[in-house]
Amino acid sequence: MRRGLPYLAHLAVLLALATAISGQVSGPGSFTVMTREGRRALATTVVQGRELVGLNDLAAFFQLTVREDTAARAVTVTYKNRTIILTPDQTLASVAGRLISLPAPLTRQGNRWLVPIEFISRALEPIYDGRIELRAVSRLVIVGDVRVPRVTAQYETTGNSVRVAFEITPKATTALIQEQGRLLLRLDADAVDANIPPPPAQAPQGVLTAVRPAEPNSIQLDLGPRFTSYRMGTPTSEGASVHIVVELLAAATETIAIPAPSPVPAGDPLTLIPSVRSAIRTVVIDPGHGGDDSGAKGAGGTLEKDVVLAVARRARTAIEGRLGLRVLLTREEDNRADSDARAAIANNNKADLFISLHANASPRASTRGAQVMYLGLDRFGEAARQRYESQREALPVYGGGTREIALVQWELAQASHVYESTALANIVEKRLRDSAGISAVTVQKGPLRALAGANMPAALIEMGYLSNPEEERLLASGDFQNSIAQSLVEAVISFRDYLERGPASEASAETDGPAP
Amino acid sequence: MMRVHIKHRDLVLYGSLAAGLIAALIALGVFLPRWLSTPPEEGAAQETPAAEVRKIRARLFYVAEDGVRLAPVEQEVLYGEGALEQAKRIVEAQLGPARPPLASAIPAGTKLRTIFLTQGGTAYIDLSQEISAAHPGGTTNEILTVYTLVNALTVNLPAITSVQLLIDGREIDSLAGHVDLRRPFGQDLQWVM
Repeated sequence: MRRGLPYLAHLAVLLALATAISGQVSGPGSFTVMTREGRRALATTVVQGRELVGLNDLAAFFQLTVREDTAARAVTVTYKNRTIILTPDQTLASVAGRLISLPAPLTRQGNRWLVPIEFISRALEPIYDGRIELRAVSRLVIVGDVRVPRVTAQYETTGNSVRVAFEITPKATTALIQEQGRLLLRLDADAVDANIPPPPAQAPQGVLTAVRPAEPNSIQLDLGPRFTSYRMGTPTSEGASVHIVVELLAAATETIAIPAPSPVPAGDPLTLIPSVRSAIRTVVIDPGHGGDDSGAKGAGGTLEKDVVLAVARRARTAIEGRLGLRVLLTREEDNRADSDARAAIANNNKADLFISLHANASPRASTRGAQVMYLGLDRFGEAARQRYESQREALPVYGGGTREIALVQWELAQASHVYESTALANIVEKRLRDSAGISAVTVQKGPLRALAGANMPAALIEMGYLSNPEEERLLASGDFQNSIAQSLVEAVISFRDYLERGPASEASAETDGPAP
Repeated sequence: MMRVHIKHRDLVLYGSLAAGLIAALIALGVFLPRWLSTPPEEGAAQETPAAEVRKIRARLFYVAEDGVRLAPVEQEVLYGEGALEQAKRIVEAQLGPARPPLASAIPAGTKLRTIFLTQGGTAYIDLSQEISAAHPGGTTNEILTVYTLVNALTVNLPAITSVQLLIDGREIDSLAGHVDLRRPFGQDLQWVM
């Protein structure tokens, strides 16, 4: 709930990974303290492998008073009326009455008291009025309302292009500016906390020579002599991050159409842009109900669970056969499966797309037509989502103390994909209307249980009404089932185009970021 | 001897008959005027202490002609003292059979067990298991079932801002596998004509 905790959790992960890549503003021996007023260096001393900082230096930065109580053998740090009590050679400290643990004890060096740098995040941050964020890997201490998004990048290369996929956390709007010999990705921020590896060796030579932070708030892409043009994908947001793909093209002997940059498909950042060809590799089709849960029943005896399984199987064959994608069903047979188990199949297989198939029912037999739905939360659902997002767990760590770990929230994983899911639902609706010959098809959002746990774009299709005698016959027929399967193939193609080329691809295949 | 005995017996008989008759007459005298004067006029009923016939007008929800929306219908519902009692009367009315041109999205046989009302304005409607077991299925239909109840309470009772459904006192995942019922819902007129 505290403002600092998300960063602490992130920090813990970063520390655990120990993927230390040097920060941009200060080397070992000091941290950079960033405030509204500017930047200042905070000197550190390494003692027995631990980086320590002087309490007096911290006192100057954060308006603390430090008092040594020789009788009690303690050092009291006071901020406003809140106190931190430290004991020499002890790793435990009392912060406003609560015990916390530090990775190294309070240490005396000459006439100075030293504490580990983590004192800032574990002892000071909890009692400080403003925000304090310690980013150990970047060697930054961010104080107050200063926007310093983290920027990471990954590369992907093809014969004559290199793509750089940036991930910016928290979200910031960006602008890409071409200048002599360089492209600048400018962020709407006060500074940039960049952690960017050098371009890979297998990238086409002479296109992109370096990617590095540029003062004050940009990422600079140094261009080589073979650089000809660039494209920029539509920024896509995912959770707290925004993804931007910039593709740099090399002068090539042949000027064949080069695949447009793909806004990063939702999912694990380590599998960004897995293939040049496709933003969709795995599709999960979810035939609703099953086992003792028959779903809706037609007057003629047609069961929803049978219809949806038949359509799912036909769709799998069609998508695998025509597009060569991997297609998984959440149930292969007439068995019962709960909603979370179905979502888990999609999540664990890193599916790029989740389509749930259903057949409808109404107390009015005249009701007919298909509907496509996606998850929409009302304000109570939205409040729940925010609660889950702020839920964190304090796990005990070796050597005492705890570490804040952000929980992966499957409860409402779908909520972060609503934007893409809306697009997916609209595409599916269009394809169903075009090819399946269904009359009144509508798109609606609703509080859908079947989609809640799916951590990827997802839509639910109600193919027709089993309570309508005419539609019951239709739903049971192989021809109709095949035409739905064909519509799904078309929808997957359209949605892949949408992901790879951005929203305008529906109308035209030749649309993209700013033309160079 | 014998006659005296009979006479004595008759006397007791007549005496008790007379007493009964007098009592009956008194009773008639007291209650007859009331019987005669109580042809219940609706207007007067509000002033008389006959609280059980007092009614309010409430907006209930039924499946519209198109089958994919709810149609609001003004209907008389028994009066209940306070938000909680009134909520129970409204839900009971909503659970009742729909008059022929109307169709209800709530499965027949569903009964109200009770309603809990929190300080924060969330009503927990505890229903019998028919609401799920007898549900005909379909996503749209299930959405309409849920919003029939959610809207019936939130539209008529400003004190109730959100509604969660329970079955036999327990929280539920869903009624028929489509709608996520793990948390309360606020009013949503997207589904209303």
